[in-house]
Amino acid sequence: MAKANSKDEEKLFSGILRLNAKVMGLIMGLLLGLVIFIATNWLVIKGGHIDPSGKYVVGPHLRLLSQYFIGYRVSFLGSIIGFGYGFAIGTLSGALIGWIYNKIVDFRN
Amino acid sequence: MQESSGNSDPKKIIIIGGGPAGLTAAYQLHKLDKKAIVIEKDEVVGGISRTVNYKNYLFDIGGHRFFTKIKAANDMWKEVLSDDMLHRSRLSRIYYNNKFFYYPLRPLNALSGLGLWNSSMILISYLYSHIFPYKDEETFEQWVSNRFGKRLYNTFFKTYTEKVWGIPCSEIRAEWAAQRIKGLSLLSAIRNALIKQNQEQKGKAVIKTLIDSFDYPKFGPGMMWQAVADIVQGNGSQVRLGADVETILWDRESRKVEAIEIRANGRQELVSGTDFISSMPVRELIQKFKPSVPDEVLKAANNLNYRDFLTVALIVNKPELFPDNWIYIHDPRVRLGRAQNFKNWSSHMVPDQNKTCVGLEYFCFEGDDLWNMPDRDLIELGKKEMEKLGLLKASDVEDGSVVRMPKAYPAYDSKYREMLDIIRRFLDGVANLQVVGRNGMHRYNNQDHSMLTAMLAVENIYGAEHDLWNVNVEQEYHEERKEEITEAPEELIPDSAIIRAFSRMDKLGFATALGTVSGLLIFMATLWLVIKGGEVVGPNLRLLSQYFIGYSVTVKGAFIGMGYSFMWGFLFGWLFAYLRNVSLAFYIYRVKKKTELLSFSDFLDHF
Repeated sequence: MAKANSKDEEKLFSGILRLNAKVMGLIMGLLLGLVIFIATNWLVIKGGHIDPSGKYVVGPHLRLLSQYFIGYRVSFLGSIIGFGYGFAIGTLSGALIGWIYNKIVDFRN
Repeated sequence: MQESSGNSDPKKIIIIGGGPAGLTAAYQLHKLDKKAIVIEKDEVVGGISRTVNYKNYLFDIGGHRFFTKIKAANDMWKEVLSDDMLHRSRLSRIYYNNKFFYYPLRPLNALSGLGLWNSSMILISYLYSHIFPYKDEETFEQWVSNRFGKRLYNTFFKTYTEKVWGIPCSEIRAEWAAQRIKGLSLLSAIRNALIKQNQEQKGKAVIKTLIDSFDYPKFGPGMMWQAVADIVQGNGSQVRLGADVETILWDRESRKVEAIEIRANGRQELVSGTDFISSMPVRELIQKFKPSVPDEVLKAANNLNYRDFLTVALIVNKPELFPDNWIYIHDPRVRLGRAQNFKNWSSHMVPDQNKTCVGLEYFCFEGDDLWNMPDRDLIELGKKEMEKLGLLKASDVEDGSVVRMPKAYPAYDSKYREMLDIIRRFLDGVANLQVVGRNGMHRYNNQDHSMLTAMLAVENIYGAEHDLWNVNVEQEYHEERKEEITEAPEELIPDSAIIRAFSRMDKLGFATALGTVSGLLIFMATLWLVIKGGEVVGPNLRLLSQYFIGYSVTVKGAFIGMGYSFMWGFLFGWLFAYLRNVSLAFYIYRVKKKTELLSFSDFLDHF
């Protein structure tokens, strides 16, 4: 067993993890998309408040995302738009992380 | 000299030995509609798996449970015995320090038997052995101490192992202990842990352990091998009992065995064949080669040693003695190693249900005082020792019988490996001779492994190229069967998937990747606002300057932010990869240690 185990340990510990860039991108895209979708809808469900100028305001801080995500607002429709943006950015970032990681692993080994 | 030949088949297959391996080979040939000649030295078949009949009281040479992970062996048992196979619950205990311990151990019973102080010391010793293990694992003592702790080794392993082998544990090779525990490959352990976890999450029971139950033929294991002998003889094969192989005639030039000389009924016969399968002790096999094998090989064979064994069967005028199938006797005050209660294996083993038949197992060397002791004295010794242990009253014993079994255990002493390698190299060069079984390969094969070697040997005769020496090395083996899982575990989670999932993450690679992407995101976010412009540019993003000193929503700030972000992303990525590697390594370590520790629960069963 000692021999078999040391062989197994060698197999386990000599290998370096490779990331699947596409899967990594998909996961990060879904995660980021969902985070924005849920965060937006949470504020929508919670409701807003009337500001001193008499305007009904929902999620003034999250709304700042519209600086980057054109068309985004804190509403149900906005949450779907936000999901799309989040998914796109998450996917690109995740895939890029996976790709860079794999390149570095290839370079180092 | 009379000559006999096999049959009309162009291949004439001669099988030396009528134990599980030899008879399995004959049975496999029978299934291929081929005939063989089985040469057995004794007057009964079954080898060490025989069942002895003494005045209709049946007893084994040691207890032989029928359980296996080898499907082919299990199928054969079922084919041959079908309804005559009983499924039995197991109860066995260890007798140590005047107390009985359930084996496999039960926590409360062990705690009450050992006492709080001793149990605590065992725990401390276990931890100590893991922090400061023996660096070299050469001996049995070192191997067991490293896994279970020195104190547990002294309590449950030392005396019994030394009884079995007759030499100090410090002289027994660690390899023997390692081979006794199969199925403990790290990958298998991880796979099992993952499957178990997955099944538990789904609310399914996964592993039914055969440590707690086993199959057993109604009239003992001899029934199985007698049935096999009858089947193959019914198909035209011969099973020659009382036939002692005297010479192996081989041709040095062609490196082939041509015939064997046997002595049966006082007459010498020449049995020629085209293919030979031998399960006789490899030491004897080599010694019987004519012309003689090279000196180096002969010397190696002469250096192989065996442990022998005798059973004293006592017929006791009591319907019940103890509830166990068998009891391990660790007590150093007696020479008895193990006590079997055959009625608890199968009620068919005794003709009168008001009586009990116990088998007392003594480990010895052929020719030592125990071996040479007259049967009457051995029966008296058995009665005296059983009374001393409180297991029976000598006055209740009404009869007894003794069976001696030479070469029951191939010895894994300090030189056996080197010697066996020399022999193996020689035998590999003899084209038409294959060695199988426990003594045939000088390997501590159990019944199922012996059977498998024989099955593969038959396939080799017909063109396959199996390496028989890999059986019991590569074969996963421990007393578990995944009955709820239809697919093989290897198919559920292949080795390659485990290796991929548990491989080390490159910390620098992940840190750089995460840092780069984080840096780019901040850079672009900043630059986007700068390009968009406005009266006040990025008042909210500018808040980052609280953390990134010098940062602003400008082109220059975009570079500064990218630098900071890269640094934090890098640190976070490195830490993530580090923690991921550490937690997986810890998981692997935990699975390994747990599996090793669990192996304690069936360790003694392999003796």
